[in-house]
Amino acid sequence: MPTCQKSARPLVGCLRNAQISPQSARRIRTFSSTSRWNNEVAAETTTSPAPVFDPATVTSKKGEKALMRSGVLPIGSRRRRAALQTSDNIPFELLPYQCFQEARKVLQKDREEKLEAIKRERLRINNLMAQDPSAIKGGETQKQVRLTSMRKYLEHLKILADINDPLIKKRFEDGLGDMNKPIYRYLADKKWRKYDRLVIEQRINQLGVVPDVLPYFDPTADVRLAFRTRNVQPGEFVDSRLSEIPARLRVQVFDKGERLVTVVMIDSDVPDVEKDGFSTRCHYLATNIPLSPTGDSLPLANVNSDQVVLPWLPPFAQKGSPYHRYSIFILEQKPGHVLDKVELAKKVERDGYNMRSFVDKFDVKPIGVAIFRSLWDEGTAAVMQRAGIEGADIVFKRKRIEALKPKKKARGWEAKRSSGKYASLGKYVSYRK
Amino acid sequence: MLLPRSQQPIRAALTSIGRSASVGSSQVCLNEAFGQLSIIASTPVLTFVRHASHAQQGAVNKAKDGPGKRLGAKKSGDQYVIPGNIIFRQRGTHWFPGDNCAMGRDHTIYATESGYVKYYKDPEKNPKKQYIGVVFERHQTLPLPRNSARRRRLGMIATKIEATPIEAPASMAEELDTDTEGVLVKKRSKRGEGERTWELKEGYMYRESNWEIGRAAEKANIRVRKFKPGDRWVAWKKKAATAARAAEKRRLGRKGKK
Repeated sequence: MPTCQKSARPLVGCLRNAQISPQSARRIRTFSSTSRWNNEVAAETTTSPAPVFDPATVTSKKGEKALMRSGVLPIGSRRRRAALQTSDNIPFELLPYQCFQEARKVLQKDREEKLEAIKRERLRINNLMAQDPSAIKGGETQKQVRLTSMRKYLEHLKILADINDPLIKKRFEDGLGDMNKPIYRYLADKKWRKYDRLVIEQRINQLGVVPDVLPYFDPTADVRLAFRTRNVQPGEFVDSRLSEIPARLRVQVFDKGERLVTVVMIDSDVPDVEKDGFSTRCHYLATNIPLSPTGDSLPLANVNSDQVVLPWLPPFAQKGSPYHRYSIFILEQKPGHVLDKVELAKKVERDGYNMRSFVDKFDVKPIGVAIFRSLWDEGTAAVMQRAGIEGADIVFKRKRIEALKPKKKARGWEAKRSSGKYASLGKYVSYRK
Repeated sequence: MLLPRSQQPIRAALTSIGRSASVGSSQVCLNEAFGQLSIIASTPVLTFVRHASHAQQGAVNKAKDGPGKRLGAKKSGDQYVIPGNIIFRQRGTHWFPGDNCAMGRDHTIYATESGYVKYYKDPEKNPKKQYIGVVFERHQTLPLPRNSARRRRLGMIATKIEATPIEAPASMAEELDTDTEGVLVKKRSKRGEGERTWELKEGYMYRESNWEIGRAAEKANIRVRKFKPGDRWVAWKKKAATAARAAEKRRLGRKGKK
């Protein structure tokens, strides 16, 4: 190596390093006029400023907690954050891997093709819309059928155009996806179907919500349930004191547009002693609530009073009764169909509420459900008292079922010792009259 | 070596048949021929005998017939049952438990509700399986129509809760006693004593029940630290304490001897 190269090496390294973003943790010491590291430490020991954590690169539990306390959630997985710490954060376009860049070119070309196809499909749709239905074979109906299928294909193309973009995938994983765009809705739907939908589907079947409340149910919206700050998993037992205030829902729909929904909470295990069976009760009913893919938060306490038909009745399970299943259903109304609150208030009663008939009568479609369970606990009596519900002093006991065979008279050894003579034996005097 | 010798009479018979055919009366000739077929006793002949080689005794042949296991239906269709009644005993699952029935560990089907037994098939659930169910009313049928709400029975009665007067914990009242100066002084008493009940038990002795003895530590408020696997700190402390105790004992013992 020539001497000039040797002498220029540190300078070159310094220049290269200047491109690396300041977040990079892997720093090579370069020429600097500042003091050496140990001198700095000696100077700074007197003042210890509070550490600042970066949500993109924090990996320690302490740092994560500090961030969350300040209201900022760490981005992505801890493994990813750890990887980011040591990466140079070079943007994709500048990554010095030839194969990678060639692959990107292929993907970009594919995307351009898809964009072309989208343009063409849009044009075709416009042309068809401009056409007179009498000129089309099959008339107006055929025209509409073709239009819907073409629109469906257009949506499909939109997803195909973006599905291979690594940046879109990253943004979705960071939780920064815009739910107005079809690709993010598609990715969110896929993610939901992979785990959360399976769980809720399983709970629906296990807890018998499907034959008991509805004859058939195919959830298409993600519903998350929380009371105060406590998240509730599907089918979990919830303390009555916690569920005293209305639930907070987060409803994520995966199809575009705003729609109106009706929210119903139903208890499907109300003990009915006269019938010797169970009946149902409606604990909450609110209607005409707007819902869109972007606005997913739905705290039931904050629903407008002109939308609430039946206000929140806290869940309560009387002592001794088997567990109560509470299901909060999200029912989608037909587009442009607004339910009349007064009519609903007249027709719907809390006791004996029938979900099947409600769905049929008001032409709504169940899209999502959140399920939790409740049992008698220490707080139930107070909750019932505060809500003005009677029956906190009732306890359910098992009914005795008479045996088919009559009781046999005591015979032999036991009969002999059943008289008072053997009373002092304690254990052996259980046959005493 | 053997073959030609045994074939000799057959050959002679065949030649005699051939000769006699030209002569005339065939019957006579045939008899003659068969006469020649008879094996001459003087010629040595191998004879084979199959001796019995199949074991007749011991564990070879299993018992063909054991005692019957009393399997089969114990309750017929439409018969009334109560929970726990055995409806069907079987080896394997000829029948599966349907509504309000359950299967025991030997595949016995028993009722979990009182009602009437129904034997049925549910082709929508499984085209081959056959089920046993219990319905609450005799006229009800199984299987239920698809997706219809389940029939459920409460099986409970509503009673009033007996008012339980809330008492001050007796043990606390006992323990805290006012001193002459009016200062609360804790009275020393044996822990866990007080609410012990002695009963005359088997063997003419007064003692507590076993389950009460088992709860003695709990009553005396003795808290045992929960064992945490992998807690080396506690393990080390315990080990050190044991070692120290042993050393102390050894030291004392030596002293006593000396």
